[in-house]
This record gives sequence, structure tokens and C-alpha cells, in this order.
Amino acid sequence: MISTRERVDAAIGQGLINALPELENPDRDAVLTSDIGLDSVQIMNLVMEIEDELDISIPVDVLSETRTLNQLAERLTRMIDGNETT
Amino acid sequence: MSIFKKFEAAAQARAELTGEGPSAIATPIDEVRSATRGVIDGQEVLLAGTNNYMGLTFDPDVIRASQDALARSGSGTTGSRMANGSYDGHSALERELADAFGWPAAIVFSTGYQANLGSLSGLASEGDYLFVDADSHASIYDGCRLSRAQTVVFRHNDPENLDRRLERLGEKASHAVVVVEGLYSMLGDQPPLEEFVEVKKKHGAWLVVDEAHSFGVFGERGLGLSEQAGVLDDVDFVVGTFSKSLAGIGGFCVSRHRELELLRLASRPYIFTASPSPAVIAGTRIALGKIVNGQKRRHQLHRNIDRLYAGARDLGYRLGSDTPGPVAAIILPDRATALAHWNGLLETGVYANLMIPPATPAGLNLLRISMSAAHTDDDVDRILEGLTRLASDLGSPGLAQVG
Repeated sequence: MISTRERVDAAIGQGLINALPELENPDRDAVLTSDIGLDSVQIMNLVMEIEDELDISIPVDVLSETRTLNQLAERLTRMIDGNETT
Repeated sequence: MSIFKKFEAAAQARAELTGEGPSAIATPIDEVRSATRGVIDGQEVLLAGTNNYMGLTFDPDVIRASQDALARSGSGTTGSRMANGSYDGHSALERELADAFGWPAAIVFSTGYQANLGSLSGLASEGDYLFVDADSHASIYDGCRLSRAQTVVFRHNDPENLDRRLERLGEKASHAVVVVEGLYSMLGDQPPLEEFVEVKKKHGAWLVVDEAHSFGVFGERGLGLSEQAGVLDDVDFVVGTFSKSLAGIGGFCVSRHRELELLRLASRPYIFTASPSPAVIAGTRIALGKIVNGQKRRHQLHRNIDRLYAGARDLGYRLGSDTPGPVAAIILPDRATALAHWNGLLETGVYANLMIPPATPAGLNLLRISMSAAHTDDDVDRILEGLTRLASDLGSPGLAQVG
């Protein structure tokens, strides 16, 4: 059985393909804003795709705590395993 | 100097928008002569980017009421409504706003921004949820940040997406406040309000409609999209601003729930700010009456809207909304083209707005034109002549791909 983290990583991968196809495998430890150069609207569109993939709602304050895709994946994994999803 | 380093990218972007002529961002308007005329860079221009939808900023009755109040009650209240800033005019305006909707409660705020900040942060707190449309105005997002509620964003104008999210919340959906706008000011598009109402009712959630850009414009009495869509009975709160159709500055929240009054005890943006000046309140009261009874003005506004939308489409322009409304957002392929259109239109003597990311949804570059009831048929002709010249000078924008 695949782990929650694997499921989250896959959802982020699919989200990237759907929302930001021009990015082609970005470094998941890069800062989304300063390193990759995404603006707030682009990040929100990406998050919406990830939410659809995982069938969860990600509260806005979770996003303000995460700067990289790996940080987001860690936070979402904790959220899902801790059953604190909205 | 390091604390200013974070502004470098924004400063660079601003510099790129500033050429030889007037700046497209924060354009200096040297003089305003009427609801539809002003002077920019020494030239008299037709104002078509002002949110002056009902054209009441120079209405003689509005001005006289403001002047009288200024002379009678002074230039400012010097305090909050909670302390020394509650005058008879504030309460009278609140009663008149509530009466216009046939509802028991209304609160006046000092700006439209604060109306959202104060309403949302007051209505939803720890243990509650705020569900907001992705394309929401910054004041809605900031209201969520100020609130201690958990905030979730749903897809723009997508009731089905909201439905799924409320479904997951289960019984807790009775603690969810859903926020939509009556008109989204960047693209000028409207929500499927009836469908949002159905979703809200299904889950027992609460619905706030921000009618900032739709109040005065839609509905027989100008109460907004909620009135036009016939769903006022199912809307819990309407938030609005005085700074567009009402031709002043300030904001309001009205509700069918008498308990809205309790926000006066808890809403920080209401409590910790000075109340609107007597002149603004007096002018707004007159403007409100003119909006509720403003069928003739609204008729002219919608005539202008329909002509502008039809004319722009005939020229091959792609607009941000299929449904005509007071904002016509022409979608252009990139920032340079949008800037060229903005400059070109100004050269023909028409002032509109340049809107670029990240203020716009989906990375779009827009030339945003707003219509007024004060625009005459000749004014609309002039705007369309300007667009015709741009279409021939700058190519066929409708065929351009959005980048």
C-alpha cells in the first residue's frame, strides 16, 4: 500500500502538470516565490489542482507556513494522517 | 537599507510601465471637472475608468447635502463610533440602508475595504470557517487573515467546487461563511448566484455577497445582483461600498439577522477607526435615495454597457465576461500590448485602467473600461472610436493568444 507521503507527492506532480506545465520538474526544495518566481495567483492555482487530486481543502494558513513543495508535502501528509483536513 | 530590498521586483515592474507620458499605474489626474471629464497630462479626457457607475459624484443635491453637513457638523468626527464619533447622520444612514433591503440591521464602516475586513473578521472567528472565491478582492482575503477562522479558497464561480468542500465539512458547515462578489471587478464577470444559494442552503452555511461593484447597477431598486437574481431572501449579509455608485467613501454591511448589531462590540476595523465625516454621510444618504429610485439613470447605464460590449466585440476584442456589465475588461496577449492599448486610448482622449498580474486573475493583462450612467451616447461613441483606432493601429487583438 502506498504511503500518504507518496500519494501527496504524486498529487503535487499531477498538480504541477495541470497548473504549471511550463515548469517541467521543478526542484521541490526551491522556494516557490523567490527561487521559482511564482506569483500568488499561480501558487493558488497549483494548490487548487492539488486539492482536487487529494480531494481535500487546504486552509490558507497552511500555505502561508510553507515555502517549498517539499514543505507543503510534509504539512499535507501530517494533515491527512492526523485527520485534520477540512 | 535591507528592509527595502523586498520591493526591488515591484519597483522594477513599475519603472517598466513608466514611459514618456503619464504613468499607467496611479495615473495623476490633474483636475476632475465632472463625473466623466478630467485633465490628465494637460489634456481634457473622457473618464472611463472610475467606478462612477451611477455618475453621482457631481450631483448637485449630493454636493449641497455634503456642504450643509460640513457647515453644520464640522469637518470630521475625530473619533470612533464606540467613543465620540456616533452622530445622528450615521444612525440615520444605517436605518436607511437597512430599510432599502427591508432588513433589520446595518452597520456603516469608514471605507469599503474596512467593510469587508470588519464584517468577515467579526462574523467568523475561531472554530468557524470562511469559504471565499479564488478571485476575491484583497479586502476579502485580508478580512480572512484578520479573522481567526479557518479559510478555504474555492474555484472561481464554481458552486460545484464549493459544494464538494462543504460536503467534506459535514455538520460543521453550519459554521461556514461563504463569500462571493456580485461582480468581479477585474474581468467584470458575475457569479451564478442562484446556484451558490442552493449550495449554501443544502449545507446550512451562511452567505455573504459583496455588492461593491454591483450595488446601484443591478436590480429594479439598484440593490445589486442579489436583487436582480431574485435571491435576496436567501442571502444572509450584503457588504458594499460608498465609493462607487454611492459616490462617497465608506462601506456597509446589511443583514436579515438582527444580531449583526453585535459586531459593533467585536469588529476591530469598526471599533478602532474614526467614523466617516458628516459631509460624506450626508452626501451618501442623498445618493442612496437616488440609487433606489434611479431607474432612469440605470436605464442609461445599461444602454451604455450594451453598446460598449457590442461595439468592442464587433471590433474583435475578447472580453473578460460574456454577460455585459459595468466593467468591460479587454483581454490582451501581454503586458506590452496592454500598455500600448492603454497609452493609445489615452492619446485619443479616453482614460481607462491598465490591469496586470498579480492584481488580475490567471495572469491576464487587461484594458479595463468602466461605464457610467453619466456617459452620454456621444461619450460611448468616442470610446468606441478610440478602440476602433487601436484595433487598426495595433492589429487584431481578438486573434491573439492569451499568454
